[in-house]
Formats: sequence, structure tokens, C-alpha cells
Amino acid sequence: MAGINDYIILSCILFGLGVIGFLTRRNALILFMSVELMLNSINLMLVAFSASMADMGGQVMVLFIFAVAAAEVAVGLAILICLFKHAKSVDVNRFNLLKW
Amino acid sequence: MDYYFLLFAIMAVGAGIFTITVKDALPSALGLLTVFIALAALYLHLHAPLIAIFQVSIYAGAILVLVVFVIMLLITPDEALETAQKNISYRAMGAILGVYLIALLIIGLKGINQLVAQKSLPEGFGKPSQIGDLFFRKYILHFEISSVLLLVALVAAIYLAKKRA
Repeated sequence: MAGINDYIILSCILFGLGVIGFLTRRNALILFMSVELMLNSINLMLVAFSASMADMGGQVMVLFIFAVAAAEVAVGLAILICLFKHAKSVDVNRFNLLKW
Repeated sequence: MDYYFLLFAIMAVGAGIFTITVKDALPSALGLLTVFIALAALYLHLHAPLIAIFQVSIYAGAILVLVVFVIMLLITPDEALETAQKNISYRAMGAILGVYLIALLIIGLKGINQLVAQKSLPEGFGKPSQIGDLFFRKYILHFEISSVLLLVALVAAIYLAKKRA
């Protein structure tokens, strides 16, 4: 039986992969998917703690995170489509309107 | 160490590495799908069958289909995407920061199971009826607020996507 430590390590590794992807890639869609990876690692940790502490609150929290993630994806992808119409690219280095 | 956890953990980490290293967006989305499926299997192991079902239907179903749809809309075949990153310092910095973060998190959280006592699970833990009970009694206000959030996101997404740039 895998203990809570194993789940914590797996969750940390997935979160770190998300951070690495977010910091190193330039394709805005892949940045998006890195954020999803981070959200999922947090879900895993919540469920692991929920099972470890015999408290259902963690699982309910995960369901709320699902709702927030769905909203985030809908708005984020709409913004991405707007940016694409504007810059004709999904390269985040091209989105430099605020730079002078 | 049990093999179920090990199998799906390796699957999740491998697919995660694939997701962030592969060149094109579509294979990256497929890697992310694999991560979602592996995590759903781990949720089953953690006495959370409802979360596992929602993981497959919401994340692997709805959210990933939306992402793939946008990939289809945005990527034209003749567009040269993600040319080689010229500035190597970004990659090095990102990788170093990420690995440092992983190490820090693992060291920080390593001893936490001494703090949280491993409790034995009560009867029927994680059953959908119990989650529904919590949802509609204790967390009813949060539930309503999240429905408003989804409505606002829906309106905002339609407004942003229809706006002429």
C-alpha cells in the first residue's frame, strides 16, 4: 500500500513539471496545458490527504477546483483566440504590447 | 511499494515530461490526456470513485476537447511554430527553478505524515451519496457561488470570442 508520502512526492513532481513547462515553453497553448498539470497535481494531493485523514472535505474541494478549472479554460482560451486574431501567432514572446 | 501506484505514477510522470518537452501542441495535449487518465486511476486507489469519474469526464472529456478544438482553430499548417528557442538562458533558468522547487516541496512535505495521523476510513467513505450530502448541506453556498462563476465564465468566453480584434 502506497503511503501518503508517495502521493506527496508524485504530486510535487507533477507540480514541478508544470512549473518547468510554464517557464521554458513559448507556445501559449502549451503554457495553458502546464497550468492544467499544476492544477491536477494539487487535486491529487487534496484527494490523498482526504483519504489519509478520513475527511471528505478534500474531495468536495476537488470538485470546486474542477468548476474553477473549467471556467479558467473557457475564459483563457477565449483570450487566446483574441490574442491570436491580434498577433497572428501563439508565441508568447510576440505578445509584447505592454513592453516599451 | 505496491505495483498499482508505481505503474500509474510512472505513467503520469512520463506523460508529464512528454507534455512539456514535445514540440507541437497536439501531441502535448495527448500527453496531458495520459496524465489525466493515470491520475483518475490513482483517485480510484484513494477511495474517490466520484472524483475519478469526473476526472475522466470533465478533464479528459470536456476541457481537453476544448483545448484540442482551439489547437485546431489556431494552428495553420504553414505556420512555423515554436522555432528553436534562441535564448538558452530561459530554458536553463526555468529548468533550474523547477527542479529546485520540486526538491524544496519534497523536503518540506516529507515528514508530514508524522503530523497527520493515518486514520482508518469510516464505512462508505467516498461514496457519491456522501459527497452529494456534503455538497447540498454543508457546502451549499459554495456550490451556488461556483454556479455563478461558471455562468460569468460562459458569458465572458462568448463575448471575448465574438469580439472583433
